[in-house]
Amino acid sequence: MNSFLTRYSSTSPDADIRKAKELYGEDEEVSEMMWGSAGGFGNLAKGVPSFKIPAVADPSSFLRMHTDDHADPSCRIKIKHGTTTLAFRYKGGVIVAVDSRATAGSYVASGTVKKVIEINPYLLGTMAGGAADCQYWETYLGIQCRLHELRNRERISVAAASKYLSNLVYSYKGMGLSMGTMICGWDKTGPAIFYVDSDGSRLKGDLFSVGSGSTFAYGVLDQGYKWDLTDEEAHELGRRSIYAAGHRDAFSGNTVNLYHVQQDGWKFIGNYDVSELHYNGPGDNVPGAPGGGYGYDIRVEGRSSSNAPA
Amino acid sequence: MSDRIYLGLPGLATDVTTLKEVFRYRVNMYTIKEEREIEPETFAHLVSSTLYEKRFGPYFIEPVMAGLEKTPSGAYKPFIAATDLIGCLNFAKDFVVAGTASTKLYGVAEGLWEPDLEPEDLFETCAQTLLNAVDRDAYSGWGAEVHLITKDKVIKRTLKGRMD
Amino acid sequence: MASAEGGAYSYSLTVFSPSGKLVQIEHALAAVSSGTTSLGIKASNGIVIATEKKSSSILIDDSMIDKVSVICPNIGIVYSGMGPDFRVLVAKARKSAQAYWKVYGEYPPTKVLTQEIATIMQQATHSGGVRPYGVSLLVAGWDITRGPCLYQVDPSGSYWAWKASAIGKNMVNAKTFLEKRYNDDISLEDAIHTALLTLKEGFEGHMTEKTIDIGIVTVPSQAELEAGKIEGTGRVKPTFRKLSEEEVRDYLAM
Repeated sequence: MNSFLTRYSSTSPDADIRKAKELYGEDEEVSEMMWGSAGGFGNLAKGVPSFKIPAVADPSSFLRMHTDDHADPSCRIKIKHGTTTLAFRYKGGVIVAVDSRATAGSYVASGTVKKVIEINPYLLGTMAGGAADCQYWETYLGIQCRLHELRNRERISVAAASKYLSNLVYSYKGMGLSMGTMICGWDKTGPAIFYVDSDGSRLKGDLFSVGSGSTFAYGVLDQGYKWDLTDEEAHELGRRSIYAAGHRDAFSGNTVNLYHVQQDGWKFIGNYDVSELHYNGPGDNVPGAPGGGYGYDIRVEGRSSSNAPA
Repeated sequence: MSDRIYLGLPGLATDVTTLKEVFRYRVNMYTIKEEREIEPETFAHLVSSTLYEKRFGPYFIEPVMAGLEKTPSGAYKPFIAATDLIGCLNFAKDFVVAGTASTKLYGVAEGLWEPDLEPEDLFETCAQTLLNAVDRDAYSGWGAEVHLITKDKVIKRTLKGRMD
Repeated sequence: MASAEGGAYSYSLTVFSPSGKLVQIEHALAAVSSGTTSLGIKASNGIVIATEKKSSSILIDDSMIDKVSVICPNIGIVYSGMGPDFRVLVAKARKSAQAYWKVYGEYPPTKVLTQEIATIMQQATHSGGVRPYGVSLLVAGWDITRGPCLYQVDPSGSYWAWKASAIGKNMVNAKTFLEKRYNDDISLEDAIHTALLTLKEGFEGHMTEKTIDIGIVTVPSQAELEAGKIEGTGRVKPTFRKLSEEEVRDYLAM
């Protein structure tokens, strides 16, 4: 019997007990840990997290009815969407670069979102799709990775960690989870990237970009990518790719966050404002950067007949 | 539209160009027939009637109008108005907004606008309202343009905005 | 039957005669010339239009006869010629004024409305199955751009602006009279009296408040203009109105 199904079904005996408990205000599933330092993971005491389910016949279609599952932009509850994230493997490790814009419909809800989730000092996860889903499950993945370490006296491989996440989101398939993530790290096999999404896909590869702005990022990335990139060149490629997406994609932008994963773990390289990159570039004497703004009109200023000198 | 009437047409690009020509035609016909320049308020009514003609297959635009109207004593008085896509007129005393960033513009304008602003202060209010509102709208941005309409001259300024 | 003077060209279809005349229009003008006299005088601060309204029988309720008609709050017209034709034109002119109001949110200037009426009358001269309107009109109105204006429209559809004019049976004498009496800075009060005096020339029978119809255009003061629309109703203050029988009686008595 599928245990998840029983847990979320509203017609099983389990559900009847659940409803009865709610009716009498009894709620053993919520321990006092929920309100303390366990920060939402208090329900892990029993091993697997469990969630309250609306008391309707079909909870997932009930949720879909009220949230914008891409298809219905007119619905009232808008889940934060729209992103550009990328990661690529090269001889010097893994580069992870993301934007920082969160939109709900056309509304720019935030320009300072951290879309790289630091799972542990050796693992990074990127965030695209539902912000909460990514944040919650990748943090949860961090906990499991640590438990793996304690049980096996050995760090988890990127392959294993990503598979854990992949299997987990697959068990929720069809219930409205929305994630497109890249699990990046360095293990015994060297630098590794796995693409995992909420449909259940899990792909190993050298180069990925995920999100509404991914096509724009791929354009720059594919053109500039090679295995023998220097570290500086690799940083610049990641930064320049996210800039391109931030510029052209309405749902991406604000700032770029850049990470570099090497043998000794990940390192945060920097945060760059997209408009600043457009007009002035990443700054003076940034290794790998040609200098000056990335913007087309900035670069051609005074050089073409349609951009006469100011 | 004329030396002292400006029209903003946010919306579907093809309707923007079509309507621009429709209004140019109707204003020119008015000027010739009546041998006088159209007043901003009269123009607002013309816009409204034109849009309502297409009540059941509307143009996808929400016009905003600004201009200076001649008072009976010969002085000029600021005039602003806006309509929805089928021509419901809104003559506002303070500000009018439209477009994908309109909800955001309402918020910022509500906070920044005050009565009887001098031209340069009005410009600053407009510019800040626009720049800050479009930064919260995914569909608007990549720079801005402000036309400051005064009795003697119209100053057009292009603003440097965020490029994402 | 073809009439004596027009021959084959005098049938209902308006057709050029070999000499270049549209005989039907000349017939229409003849109908106007046999109609009661109407006149209009533009003053420095307004306009007066007036006409005689004779009823053929004492049994007719002459208070119900309208020969001066309000088209919209700023424009009124008077006619000489055929009453029923005038009634149709009034209906068309009123519709036209309301259509203009619907588009522009204000009433048409006098010139624009005059052109509308003139166009309607012109169309009757080259449309199939119709005859020209048997009336001449005096259109008086006020608007912000041109101030008070007085126009005359003829069955051919031609129109002119006048300082003072007369149409109908006694127009020749009346015009001569007006030419003698008119000057550019005549006041509205004086113009009303001049109008009454002019009508009196050649008036058949007794001239009373029952047998004449008068309309006046007034020019709003600067203060009235600044005040704008009437509080509450949101309507514009009318600048054209008809004089009541009492007012006409008072003018006749003066």
